[in-house]
Amino acid sequence: MQSLLLLTKKNLKLLLRAKGSALVIIFAPLLLILFLGLAYSTGTQLGLHLGVHAPSFSDDVTSFITLLENDGYTISKFETSIDPCIEEIKKGDIHSCIVLPESLKVEGNTQKEVKFYVDPSRVNLVWAVQQAVESKFNFKSQEISEGLTNNIFSTLATTKSGVATQKKSIVSIKEKGNGAASSNEDVQKTLKSLDLEAPSTNPKIANLTGDVANIKDKISDARGALSTSTTIDPIEKSEIDDLLSAAELELKAAGVKELQAELKATKEKFSIVASAIRTSSTKLDSSTENIQNTVKALNDVETSLTGIIEKLDAQKVTDSGVVSSPLVSTIEQVGAQASFLNYLFPAILVLVIMFSSLLLGTTLVMMEKNSPAFLRNFFLPISKGTFIASTYLTTLIMIVVEVVIILAISLFFLEEVLATLPSVALVLFIAASVFAFLGMGVGYLFTSEETGVLGSISLGSLFLFLSGVLLPLEGLPVWLQEINQFNPFVIAEKLVREIFIFSTPLIDVLPELGIILGYAVLLFLLIWFLESLVHKHLVHRFMKNHHRAHRQKDKLKKNDA
Amino acid sequence: MEVINLKGVTQRFKKVNILDNVNLAINQGDMLGVIGQSGSGKTTLLNLITGFIQPTDGDVVYYSKIHHEERSLTKNLNKVKKHIGFTPQHNSFYPKLTVMENLLHFGRLYGLDKKTLKDNIKNLLEFTHLSHHKKKLAEHLSGGMQKRLDISCSLVHRPKILVLDEPTADLDPVLQKEILHLLQEVNKQGITVVFASHHLESIEKICNKVVIINDGRVHSYGSLDEIRAPFMRDHFRIKLPKGADKEHIIERLRGLPIKNIVQKRHSLVITPTHVGRTMNELMEIIKDEGLQLNDLHFKKASLNEVFEKIVEGEK
Repeated sequence: MQSLLLLTKKNLKLLLRAKGSALVIIFAPLLLILFLGLAYSTGTQLGLHLGVHAPSFSDDVTSFITLLENDGYTISKFETSIDPCIEEIKKGDIHSCIVLPESLKVEGNTQKEVKFYVDPSRVNLVWAVQQAVESKFNFKSQEISEGLTNNIFSTLATTKSGVATQKKSIVSIKEKGNGAASSNEDVQKTLKSLDLEAPSTNPKIANLTGDVANIKDKISDARGALSTSTTIDPIEKSEIDDLLSAAELELKAAGVKELQAELKATKEKFSIVASAIRTSSTKLDSSTENIQNTVKALNDVETSLTGIIEKLDAQKVTDSGVVSSPLVSTIEQVGAQASFLNYLFPAILVLVIMFSSLLLGTTLVMMEKNSPAFLRNFFLPISKGTFIASTYLTTLIMIVVEVVIILAISLFFLEEVLATLPSVALVLFIAASVFAFLGMGVGYLFTSEETGVLGSISLGSLFLFLSGVLLPLEGLPVWLQEINQFNPFVIAEKLVREIFIFSTPLIDVLPELGIILGYAVLLFLLIWFLESLVHKHLVHRFMKNHHRAHRQKDKLKKNDA
Repeated sequence: MEVINLKGVTQRFKKVNILDNVNLAINQGDMLGVIGQSGSGKTTLLNLITGFIQPTDGDVVYYSKIHHEERSLTKNLNKVKKHIGFTPQHNSFYPKLTVMENLLHFGRLYGLDKKTLKDNIKNLLEFTHLSHHKKKLAEHLSGGMQKRLDISCSLVHRPKILVLDEPTADLDPVLQKEILHLLQEVNKQGITVVFASHHLESIEKICNKVVIINDGRVHSYGSLDEIRAPFMRDHFRIKLPKGADKEHIIERLRGLPIKNIVQKRHSLVITPTHVGRTMNELMEIIKDEGLQLNDLHFKKASLNEVFEKIVEGEK
């Protein structure tokens, strides 16, 4: 243990006193983060895994899913609820969840809503998913919009056809109406031509009525006076009355001849009128028939118009907004709303850890290998494991310092993440171990510090470019995506993201944690093996040089001979 | 007492034997110099001794003083490591750590307790004259100080054996001398020192034993005299002045315990059977023949000459 601390202390001193190494270690991660910011870009995505939930997978919903599948997207159906799909997003197994309505058919002036769930922490993927899925979504929306427009045009065509048909009826009605009007005019003319004035009356006949009336009045007066007279004997009264009655009879017969003549003339006129009325009646019959036909035709027009109205009523989508955009999409973020820094922070953290550990591991091994004291270490009674552990511990100490600084600064911006820090720290510790061992491995493989550092940066860049931080992994071929799931950077970043953003408990991420822990153990064994190789390599190099000297000597001998 | 024993060690690489059946016993307190041409297998030998590489065949055995038993270095590497200090050819400390931090770092990794480590470092800093520079970053030290720090790092746990690969390479003569003196001082403290070097004169000066590796084989191993003996003997050279009676002098010399006399134009080269006795009698002849003492030169075969002979012989 003491040896371990001593070696670590020595390593730290050497590290801080070697200006070049210190510069690389401190500035390289910062530069890379700068590159990360500059290099943000997205491209055409392939192999997106989408989750779809709908109350029922009707034909049009299924056709939309088929549309997505035909474009290479893997679709998982969630029939009961969207929640399991959202959980899959958190785990990174599904890139986006889509909630579809029961049917995509638009039957009223209400737009159908399609909801997308995305993980905002996978910033570039969010855009990629939106871009990729929304293009399909817009395609579907356009298809529905076209359907609605076709319906409208079809209704209009039917209406036009109905109106054209009814136009003929209206022409017929018009003709019948004209016929009726003509008949009525004839009747009117006939009636107007009738002479209904009484023939000019004889003056005597004209005055006769007044005279008769006067006489009647006077007879009446005489009867009144007779009846009231007390002085006149009843017999006389009766005689007088008889006389009066006779007078009345006389009065009644007065002017009959004239009257008869006039009546005759009148009779003749009535005869003409009767003839005219008969003629008019015939014409009115024809007019009535015309009118009845017109009413019938109008009934047909009414029926036809009712049909058209019904058809127009059947076109329930009347809102131009709905016709042009029958589907509307909304995007929901998985997890609590947070700042952009929150989403980027896990990637930044793992990025810093990865490059720092890789570079530190490499630099420390190269420093030791290139140190004049390297050969002396072989004569020390210290095991290989102690040397490896000291390099590892030195790396970890430096990483811890870096992480503490980063987290301390971050807490000013991300106060809410304090609770997740212990879990995040554990993941970072294991991730740092993996990358430190990888860096050490690179250090053992290369001979010069420059190439070693370059090797580390290249390895880190490879992990980075295949991590989904710069370019979405979904842009890779599916087989490479599957292999890349074992990229330690991908696993570490996924773990930190899940814990950091979704507060996932460690127990839920044990498989991934186990994988990177396994990496750490395997790499430690590999480093042990490489350390042994370094000794053998040194011996081999020494012997090879020696062998060369021998061969030169043999050659000289031959030349001399 | 043996500390490390290489038993039939062969190191093979791509069907080529870099070291072939090496048998070598290193005793405690030895100051062993390993010499050989580039690519001869010196560094491989040192790496086998430190356990950095494991032999293809044979075994490297370490003798435990505590347990009084021999232990295979390969099988007990971590236990044996504590008893071995290794200084590679190039500096092997952390340049960005101070002198003190480097020593503390390596000392603690060897598992020393605080007090022992503190005492060790204090002694080492004084011993290597780095006390005044202990707070300096290692990269700010001079070349000599850096080499001393490197050796200090190898000694901080007080090993039984200190193995060094070309410790004086790339150093100027003054620094070379300084480092060699340091190694002598280390050896005086009872630490077995094994080092490879191309500076044969340095090895000749400070090592009590030398191993010559040639083409992956131990060509010679032993004390300097033992190494020299088969190749070149010590000899006297007498410069003859003009008019000297050469034949008379040769006649007189033949009566001495000598192996042979080589006549040159103005000198005679005499290889004695016994340097001491021959020397006394030679002095008398010089006096009698009226020669100058300056005319007598004694020459000991150098390690360099021996090595050249070996290399030429191989060719």
